[in-house]
Amino acid sequence: MASSRPKVSSALITPAIGFLCLATLVPIAAVVALSFGDFNIAFPEKTRFIGLYNYARFLSDGRFINAALVTFILVVVPVVLQLLCGLALAIALKEKLVGTRWMRAAFLLPSVVPPAVGGIVWKLFLIPGVGGLSYLASLFGHNFEADLLGSKTSALISVIIVSIWFGVPIVALLLLSSLDSIPDEIYEAANLDGASWAQAQWHISIPLVIPAMGAVAVFQALEVLGIFPVIFVLTGGGPAGATEPLNFYAFLTAFTYLDLDYSAAILVAFTTTIVGVCFWSIRQISATRVGR
Amino acid sequence: MRRDLGRRIYGYLVSAAFALFLFSPILWTLSTSLKQPTEMFQWPPVIVGEPSAQHYTAIIADKDFSSALINSIVVSCSTIILTMALSIPAAFGISHLRKTAMRRLLTLVLALRAAPAMIYIIPYFLFFRQVHLVDTKIALIIVNTMFAVPLAIWYLSAFFDQVPREIEEAAMIDGASTLQTMTLISIPIAKSGIMATAILIFIGSWNEFLFALTLTRDDAKTAAVAILNFIPFEGTDWGKAAAACVLMLVPIVVFVPFVKKYVAGPTTTGSVKG
Repeated sequence: MASSRPKVSSALITPAIGFLCLATLVPIAAVVALSFGDFNIAFPEKTRFIGLYNYARFLSDGRFINAALVTFILVVVPVVLQLLCGLALAIALKEKLVGTRWMRAAFLLPSVVPPAVGGIVWKLFLIPGVGGLSYLASLFGHNFEADLLGSKTSALISVIIVSIWFGVPIVALLLLSSLDSIPDEIYEAANLDGASWAQAQWHISIPLVIPAMGAVAVFQALEVLGIFPVIFVLTGGGPAGATEPLNFYAFLTAFTYLDLDYSAAILVAFTTTIVGVCFWSIRQISATRVGR
Repeated sequence: MRRDLGRRIYGYLVSAAFALFLFSPILWTLSTSLKQPTEMFQWPPVIVGEPSAQHYTAIIADKDFSSALINSIVVSCSTIILTMALSIPAAFGISHLRKTAMRRLLTLVLALRAAPAMIYIIPYFLFFRQVHLVDTKIALIIVNTMFAVPLAIWYLSAFFDQVPREIEEAAMIDGASTLQTMTLISIPIAKSGIMATAILIFIGSWNEFLFALTLTRDDAKTAAVAILNFIPFEGTDWGKAAAACVLMLVPIVVFVPFVKKYVAGPTTTGSVKG
């Protein structure tokens, strides 16, 4: 019986793993190959090998350099702020105060909103003068009519805020579960020693969740540029490329300018960088954990 | 410490601030979807005047959007079926492998998922164009299945791990084959986990935008993309766009409470305790 099991298992596993390898490795190999070629979608038979030419084009492409910078900003800033806001929210929700329990059930909602819907929701919220933000401002007696999506800096800040809106619930959920697993006795002991609630958070909660934050940061960094649909709906990458990260630029290059080989090069460079940095970070994190 | 004033001030202040930040855009959309066109541009803005269902009846009557909604449902449900057909046997098999082999396979499955979705867009577009499947639901179902299988295998194998081995072995001793054990014993026991996984697959497919945008034109367009048609070019009538957003959110709001523990993704659930 025991000897027959592995065979049965592999018959069960092979279709799924085979499908996955076929559906992921072949397309990735195709993109890499395409990035080394001169390809015109109207004349695919004329495709020829041009080596690293498409990659050399990066250096003289100001829009690429701008998009790379925007990518860096739109990965690092939202992830850092998601971690800080997520921690703040998780500490608040851990207390289970009367009247905040519904938040524990509902706070996840933004993270599962369809991204395109999230884009429309925020566009509607930010309409100058008559959107929800202007309404909120009017409640506090302010007359707010600025067009946040109209200038470069405020558009970028808006995209970052929407990115935080999508990411905070997940980060808070993960940090909350890590906070909930801290034994109550530790807090009781601190209380007996005369520590205030704030001191207990600073000296117990935060140090104990920091190890979990590294891994959360890496996973969020891989996820955060999934806000492509939001950018598509909210700003279209503008104004003047201010909110155009590399994946958005690559999308336009492929499907608006039909420059598929160059787009492939952008995507290969983008993907290897982001996946590379994330895998390297995971190794660093697990190395420090083992080192302890 | 329970009576500490700092704890209460912090807890209420931060909860209130995040409640405002996380929910006000959605509530504003809900309110816009119920407004009369004249109320939409009133100054100062209003939350709700006289609620009206006119935008909802308008978008349901809109043929393009209602057929896109049906496409979304068909694509999502087909993705669930195809993903389950591939992932249930695979997860059952992985769950019965030796532990080290299992970890290695699961890591491989997840590593395949790490690349950003955008890297797949050009090859899939060229491939489906070549085989004349652009603007078909089949193309979307294949792509969505590709994204769902790693997630499904990861969750399902964890659920199959929880099925007591003694029950499975008892069935085997009584003469059941591996397939019979899986379908008659393990799947019924892991039923609730399988349902949760199905919901997660549904949400992923329902929300999918990038491939629906590039691989469809008219016939196979899903609601996540068709919704863009309601965005007004000049800021006049946002009622339909808002109503369409609310409709898109209905299944999400209904289903999410059942999968709350799992939405953080398979890579991080190890650290999540229910």
